[in-house]
Order: sequence, then C-alpha cells, then structure tokens
Amino acid sequence: MNPSLRKALAASGPFVGLVFVYILFAGLTAWQGGDSRDAFLSLYNSKTILTQAVIVTIGALGITLVIIAGGIDLSVGSQIALATVVIAWCLREYGGDTAGIGLSLGAAALGILACGVCGLLNGVMSALFRIVPFIITLGTMQIARGVAKWIAEEQTIVTPESMLFNVMVVEPQPDVATSVAPGIWVAAGLIVVVVLTLRYTVFGRYVFAIGSNEATARLCGINVTLQRIWIYTLCGLLTGVAGVMQFANLTVGDPTAAVGMELDIIAAVVIGGGSLSGGEGSALGSVVGALIMAVLRNGCTMVGVPNFVQDIVIGVIIISAVAVDRLKHRATVAG
Amino acid sequence: MEPLLRLQDIQKSFGATRALKGVSLAVRPGEIHALIGENGAGKSTLMKVLSGAIRADGGRIELRGRPCAIPSPAAGRRLGIAMIYQELTLAPHLTVEENLTLGIERRRLGVVRSQRGKIRDVLALLQHPGLPLDAPVRTLGMGLQQLIEIGRALMSNASIIIMDEPTSSLSAADTKALFTTMARLKEAGIAIIYISHFLEEVMRVSDTYTVLRDGETVASGTISDTTMAAIIEAMVGRKLTEMFPAMAHDMGGPVFEARNVHGLHLPHGVDLTLRAGEILGIAGLVGAGRTETVRALFGLDRARAGSLCVAHGRPCPVRRQRPRKALRQGLDLLSEDRKDEGLATAMTITENTTLAVLPRFAQARGWGPLRLARERRAVWRWVDELNIKCAGVDRPVDSLSGGNQQKVALARVLENDGAVILLDEPTRGVDVGSKVDIYRLIGRLAREGKAVVFISSYLPELMGVCDTIAVMHRGKLSQPRPACEWTEQEIMRVAVSGE
Amino acid sequence: MIRGRIAFVCVVALLVGAMGHAAAKPYRIAVIPKGTTHEFWKSIHAGAAKAAKEFDVEIIWQGPQKEDDRELQIQVVQSFVSRRVDAIVLAPLDEVALVRPVREAVRRGIKVVVIDSGLKAKGFSSFVATDNYQGGRMGAKRLGEVMGGQGKALLLRYSEGSASTMKREQGFLDEMAENYPGIELVSTNRYAGATRESAFKEAQNLLTKFSSLDGVFCPNESSAAGMLRALQTAGKAGKVKYVGFDSSETLLNGLKAGEMDGLVVQNPFLMGYLGVKTAVEVLQGKKVKRRIDTGVVLVTRENMATPEMVELLTPDLDKWLKQ
Repeated sequence: MNPSLRKALAASGPFVGLVFVYILFAGLTAWQGGDSRDAFLSLYNSKTILTQAVIVTIGALGITLVIIAGGIDLSVGSQIALATVVIAWCLREYGGDTAGIGLSLGAAALGILACGVCGLLNGVMSALFRIVPFIITLGTMQIARGVAKWIAEEQTIVTPESMLFNVMVVEPQPDVATSVAPGIWVAAGLIVVVVLTLRYTVFGRYVFAIGSNEATARLCGINVTLQRIWIYTLCGLLTGVAGVMQFANLTVGDPTAAVGMELDIIAAVVIGGGSLSGGEGSALGSVVGALIMAVLRNGCTMVGVPNFVQDIVIGVIIISAVAVDRLKHRATVAG
Repeated sequence: MEPLLRLQDIQKSFGATRALKGVSLAVRPGEIHALIGENGAGKSTLMKVLSGAIRADGGRIELRGRPCAIPSPAAGRRLGIAMIYQELTLAPHLTVEENLTLGIERRRLGVVRSQRGKIRDVLALLQHPGLPLDAPVRTLGMGLQQLIEIGRALMSNASIIIMDEPTSSLSAADTKALFTTMARLKEAGIAIIYISHFLEEVMRVSDTYTVLRDGETVASGTISDTTMAAIIEAMVGRKLTEMFPAMAHDMGGPVFEARNVHGLHLPHGVDLTLRAGEILGIAGLVGAGRTETVRALFGLDRARAGSLCVAHGRPCPVRRQRPRKALRQGLDLLSEDRKDEGLATAMTITENTTLAVLPRFAQARGWGPLRLARERRAVWRWVDELNIKCAGVDRPVDSLSGGNQQKVALARVLENDGAVILLDEPTRGVDVGSKVDIYRLIGRLAREGKAVVFISSYLPELMGVCDTIAVMHRGKLSQPRPACEWTEQEIMRVAVSGE
Repeated sequence: MIRGRIAFVCVVALLVGAMGHAAAKPYRIAVIPKGTTHEFWKSIHAGAAKAAKEFDVEIIWQGPQKEDDRELQIQVVQSFVSRRVDAIVLAPLDEVALVRPVREAVRRGIKVVVIDSGLKAKGFSSFVATDNYQGGRMGAKRLGEVMGGQGKALLLRYSEGSASTMKREQGFLDEMAENYPGIELVSTNRYAGATRESAFKEAQNLLTKFSSLDGVFCPNESSAAGMLRALQTAGKAGKVKYVGFDSSETLLNGLKAGEMDGLVVQNPFLMGYLGVKTAVEVLQGKKVKRRIDTGVVLVTRENMATPEMVELLTPDLDKWLKQ
C-alpha cells in the first residue's frame, strides 16, 4: 500500500470509530422511535455532547504530550479537583456577592498556575530522583487531592456568582443556532495550538524523539531532562484549563471532583492511537477519543440503557482500539 | 559420514516476496558448518524454518537420513535442534540452575526435582564444572551467560546447535573461550551451524560452509579448499577488486586535541591529537575503554578529568562536555549501538537525519515553525549521496536493512558537518556492500579535510582504511603509528599485553 | 474483518437487550438518583415505578455512572434536557453544583421535582424529602438514652458536600449538645466517603484511635454498614452502643443480633412514589406543596417485627421492578 495512504488511514481510524458510534446511536434511537430520535440528532444535543467532551478533551491534549514522550501522568484528576478548589477559594475570599471579570480571570489563572506547579513538580521530581513517572505521579495524585481537601477544609467551596459560571452553559443565548458554550471555543483553540506545536515545531519533534528513543535524543544533543520538565509543566497547565472548565460546570470548588478522570483521559488518548510505550500518538486522535466517549455516554442516556452497559461498551472500545492498532502494526512489519 | 541434517531445495514466500528460492545444505555430526550471506540473503528465514518458527512452502528436510517435518518450535526442540540467538534469552533474575532447567523441569507431585547430576555432566562438557549454581545469571559476564545458554541446549539433549552471531557482543577473550567450547562440542559429536559476519572467525573455526545469496545456495564446500576472497565474491555476486578503496588525501594541521582524559571507570588518562584529513584507527579488546573514551569526549558519559579542544576553539574541561556543546564545537559521534541508541527506529528517515540539527530547519532561531520542505530536500540529498535504499524519506527507519539504517545514522553525523568525526564500530552488523560504501565515505571525509576516529574490532578494515592506528589496553591508548608500520599480530599483542 | 463484525453484533445486542421495550406514553419523566447500587435507591426506584403504573406515565431511571461524581450527574441531567423529557425527578449529589443544569432544564420548559437532598435554587416545583434534621435529632436522642446520658461517643460523617447527611449530622450534634451534656463527642470531623469500603477503612482507623468508646452514630446506609463491619472485626460489636441511619439487610441483621441499638429509617419507597406523583401533578397543572415531608421512624430490636415496620423495611420491590 502507498505509505502516505496507509498513514492517512491509520490516522483516520479513531475518526471512523467516532462516525460508527454516532451512526450506531442514531440508528438505535431511530429504531426506538418517537422523539428520542429527533432529540439525539438535534443541534442542541450535538452542542450538549461537545460541551460534555470539553474537559476530557483539554485534559487529553496535555496527557497526549506526556504519553508521546514516553511518560504517564496519573495526577490529572486530582489536579483538576485542585484547580476547582483554588478558583473557588479565590472567588470566595476576594469576591463579595458577585465576582467581577478581573477577579474571575485572576482566579482562573491561579487555578491553572496551581496545576502548572503540580506538573513542574512531576517533571522535576522524576528527573531529580530518577523514579519512573508512574510512581511519581501516583504520589502527586494523592498529594494534590490532599492539598485540595486541605484548602477546601473537606467541604465543597460555595462561591459568589462569577462570569466563569457561563463558560460551560450548553446554549448561552437560548435558541440561537450559532450560540455554543465558550468552553468549546477555548478547547478548539487549544487543539489547534497543540496540533501545530506537535507537527511544526522543534519542541514537538523532540517530544516524539524522547518518547521514541531517549538515548537517541540524548545522542542528538537534546537536553532530555529539561524537555521533560517542560512537557510535564505544559501538561499541568492544560490540565489547569480543564480544571477551569470543571469549575465552570460544577460552579463549586469540589475536592472530590474528577476522581478517576485520569483514566478516562488516558483512555481517550489510547483510543486516539497513543502508545503507552511512547513515540506514538496524535492530538487530533485524542480529541476524537474524547468525543467517542462523550457520544457513548450521551447516547446511552438517550437510548435509556443502564450504566453497566456503558462501562462494558467503553471497555470494549478501548481494547478493540488498541487491538486494531496492533494488527495494523503487524501488517506494516510483515509487508 | 552420513549427514545428520540435510536440507534440499527449501522454499518460502511471504506474499509476493520469495525469501527462500531453493536452499540446500548438509551438516554431519561433529562438524561446524558456517552459514554465510549478506543481510537479507535468507539466513534468518532459513533459521526460522529449522527451528520450527515458520513452515517452509516446499523442499525436503532429512534428519539422520529420514524425512521429517518441524511444525513448531517445541517439535524442533524434541528433534534435538537448539537455537542460540544474538540476544540471549536467559531470565536474568533466576539462578544458573533455574535457567539451565527452565522449561524442562522434572516434577514429582508438583515439586521441582533436582537434576544436578545432569547439570554436572553438562558443565563438565563445557569445562566449567565449578560454576556457582545458585548465582543469579545477571551477576555473570556475557561470556558465561552465553555458556549457560549453550548449556541449556545441551540439557535438552540437542544434537544440532544453531548459533546466530554469537560473538557480536563478546570480548576477544570470551570469543576465544567460545571457540574452545565449540571445539569440545564438536568432539562430543554435536553439529553446529554457525552464522557470523566476521569472516575471518568463520574461516578459523568452521569445517564446511554454505553461502546464501537472494534466497539461494550459491556456494558450499570445505573451508580448507577455499579463500576469503572467493567467499566474499560468492556473497556479493560480483568481483570485489577493491575491498578497501584507496582514496588519496592529504593531512593538514591539528584540529583536535584531548589531554589526560579520565572517565568514571575508563579510560585512564588518554591523550589524543588529530590532524585535518587524518583517519585514526583505534583497535583494542572489547572493554578496553575505546567506546568509553569517545563517549566521554562527546559528553555522553561523565568524565573525571581531562580537557579537549576542537578546531582551535577554546579548551574545555571534559567534565563539562555535553552532547549539545560537542555538536556545536563540530564534534560528531556515531554510536556503536545502532538499535538502542543510534537511531529512533520507529521514527522516519527524515526525523532521524535532522534530529541533531533540527533548530537549523526552524524559523526564528529554532522557535518558529519548521521548514518541512527544506528539511526533506536536505534528507533526499543524503539518500542519493549515501545510496540509501528506501521507499521514501517518510518511511520509518526500522523498515530498512541494517546497512541502510547505519547509513541514516551516518547521514545525521554528516548533516552536522563537524570537523571531527568519531565513528564507533560503524561497520558492525552491516552487509559487505554497505561496508564498502562506508569505507568510501570515510575516505571522502578525510579528503574534505575532516579528522576521523575509526573504532573497530575488525583489524583488516582498520589496516585497510586508516592512516594511523593506536591500540587501547585497559583504559590507556598507545602512541598512534602509521598503519603501514603495524601488523595484525603486533596490534593483537599490544591489545592483549599493553606493550 | 470477521472479528470486527462479531464485535459489532455483540455491541448492538448488548444495547438492544438492555433497552427493553419502550412504548410511547403520555408523560415521560426522568428519575435521577445519586447512585444506583445502594439499596436505598432501589426502594426509590420501586416507589417511582409504582407511581408510574398508577398514573400511567413512563419513567426513565438513570443515575451517574460513578456514585459520587457530580460531573457525571450534571451530564445525565443535561442529556435528559437534550432528550426533552417532560419532567425530571432529581436527587442532587450537590446542593450547588446541580443548580445550573436544573436552571437550564427549567428554562427549556422541563418541570423539576427535587427529592432526598436539598438544592440551593429557585424554579423547581417541589422538594420531596425526609426531614433530615429531625432524623438526626431522633438518632441522637436514641443514642443518648441507651448510653445513659454519659460516656464517649463519636460521629462518623458521610461525605463532603452532601446536604441531606449534613443536616442529619447537624441535628445529631444539636440534640447531643442541648440534652445530653454528659456525653463527650471525641470525634466529629471525619468523613466516611462514598462507599462501604471507604467507610470501613475510616471506621477501623477511628476505632483504633479511640479504644475506649461508648457510642457511635453514622448518618447513612454506607457509612453505617462500614462502621458495623469495623466494629465486628474489632470485636466491639454489641459492646459499643451504635445508632445508624437508613436500612438495609446488613444493618437489620446487625439490629437483630443486638450489635446495633437503633436505626433512623426514612421511607424511600414513599419518597420515590411521591416524587413522581408530584411531578405528574405539576404537569397536569395542579397546585403542589413546596415542601413535602416523607417522615422518619426509629426502628429498634423491639419494634422491628411489627407489621407496619416490616412493610416499611422490606417492601416488595420486585413486585414493581420486575415488570
């Protein structure tokens, strides 16, 4: 097969999966009949799905960088919780009855920064102590969760009204077709930035090189330690943005938020073609992976199937995505 | 004597590719039979057929005069065919005894029964009766580990042992010990099929040979009736009038100086001076500190002391050397370990070639977007110039043969365009045709006025290519002397004794 | 390719099989619990099913995929808003986080009835719940009585941010402070977490720390069950006075065995029933009360065998759920 064609097919694999899942649920809702069909296919529902995918998507962008570079970050779920708590704490301490735009943005920035610091710590510690990132981030996962509970005094933090509350509203202007949640625009912007960075910058190429073969990267004069600290910090910052979105959704600071979300996010990356042994993955693939899971959750609720079916289906999709990937690899090697 | 194993007209195709078009081969008991061929000639496919990993499409396998089939690796082992691979397959955390009996444990009521009696016999045959059976295998040296691998074959009563490049990761002493072991096995009536790139080793230890080319047997016979030149001719299918193309080049003034380089373990106080256009060969045993020296100079391994100076630049302590700095100074290193360090094999030819100088291809001093078209043009130039056989520069490196992979690694070194080039075993695991390409390239670099350090364990190529040769012994480097003043015997003497 | 087709068939079969039959009915009402695995929610489900049958409406039962995940419950509400059900009966996991999705639902003309736990929002039609504060006081009263008004007691809280249990905990603390000053509360700031397992671990640690303990109170089923197990493994069951909240088979067995001294029991079946009934009435344009109390009772070893208690504690759920 023509190599570029094969590459295109490999890249579009997750996308085909997304289309398949969408059509599957469109078919199921249509077969069920009544207004649930129109509801699933409606514009409003598409907006709902996109809005619900925003948090995992942004988180997946960060983890994609880490996973391509051959690392892993288990602490993102806790970091997201930390971000919501930091933002809420900030709004509660410095806001009166309502928080102004300046304060809201400041609080969001502080939340993002807190996650950036977590990422920086992940990077520095795994470089400094030469411990595998799995262990380090397993530790920071607990630490970030603990700090979040500490700041929140083991409660949810209730905050004054803030413009951040509107970021994740499904349809800010009712019944206006073009009106979507601002969070979707933020996510779209970040997708473009990360895709271009990975494809067209020296840094992006280094990320792939470090994950593909660290010794080679070192031989080629790449400061692997420094790059890795960068990668984890960037992942932390992106996770922070996801945390802002989570806060916008919850409208409270919740130290128990996003428990286990790191696994959803890693699953999105893996469905999108990321390899946990490093060197492979794509930002667009991860985004599609996040969308597949959002469509699944939404579709299952639409059709009215119980939760255990969702769990099983998501598991089946993760395994088949990786299995298809392996088969493809074997075909490439043999041919 | 009746052949122990006879292959006749073995054929195997993968899709449209005919990997084996008709291979015939016969081995007698107590015989070392060399299987020779360039990369891609079909050696590994043939071995897989013999070990039962794949099944042949056609042909006939006879064992002790009777036709037989080898449908699976387990069947192969039952028939007494054992494989010793290039990469050892021992479990490093298990003990010597556990490794020797792995997979053939005798059980009684589910409890492993001791087979110490048999182990003693096997170790006696291998002339290592005192090997500590309770030591974890990872605490032993490479040579002993390989011995245990052979011991495992003997434990399962193998009568034919196939060895794939067994000496490629061994030091000279271990290699010598291996040859002694092989002689013992031969006396015990075991047949050995020996596969190696090192032709003079092959000439020394083998009794008979078969040469493969393009999946066919092109020559076979007794080693004592042939010459190395004839074997090479058979391998490449054309007359190699010049294995080592002479390329006239002049030497200029000094461009590199290193003084008193000490590594953490090796080397101990190496001095090195290179002149423009000089090809310096470094010989020595594996473990003498050759690789450690160039890695320290390049900043890949930490050094304890010493200074270096490239192309009249400022002298720099070796302790502070880093790969990035070395590349900027104009110092380039080709790693000896192509697969695990030299190349990111899953990445494309383009990405591997430009990785060391990538910021050059980006706008705004490396911070802006990459100029992908310009990058590809640069890589295509090297593909043409080095004669890299590939389906395109966007193909992953692991789709190439060993020789072409090495050329990609060389292309990256050349792309940096430094004044001093350190080549660590550049021809290891490379087919003969590519070897000649690499010799030519080294000559051309010298003609362009670059200084080249050429580390090799293969003395004929050092003698043929280098202007000067120095020998390393236990971390110390001898004075370099013109290549014509050395003989192979003298180099070996210095390598072994240090004087 | 064949493998792919088999996977496809399996997925479709799974989905179709799980969907059951859905016939069109006049009103479609989504009932969203906090979780789906606790027995408490099964009772609510049964009550809702009974109301559905009685008023001839369709109910759709869907909880968040993970028990205490506010984000997932928000997504479930959003999905039902997309699906344009007629009404939503919601047991909010968080009194604030669910405000915005409820507001979006109301804005799109969907009636909302809140059950079980409070929600800090206006716009929803009615709040059908236990008076949790009174329940807490009832539990404290029972514990104070059996402890004889003195000794050391502890409160193991449920989970951060859950309004209903916080009210119970507050009721407990107030009653203790007002009427039983002789009882010393040695720990009131530890949380059991969402599951029996997390409660078990926390309770074990607390029991190790406070070795001489006379009384314990837990504010819901999972924390109480975890605590009961911890008391049993520590050999303290029956020796320490213990009052819990909500009922389940585990807890009733504890009560029967004398390992517990009382259970404050809500009426989840009635809550589910009244939740759906109220939603139907709102849809029919009837006037409903803003606050509907479903009551609490104290179950002890002595009264648990009486017919009205048996009916309350072990309603025939299968009768409603198996249809």
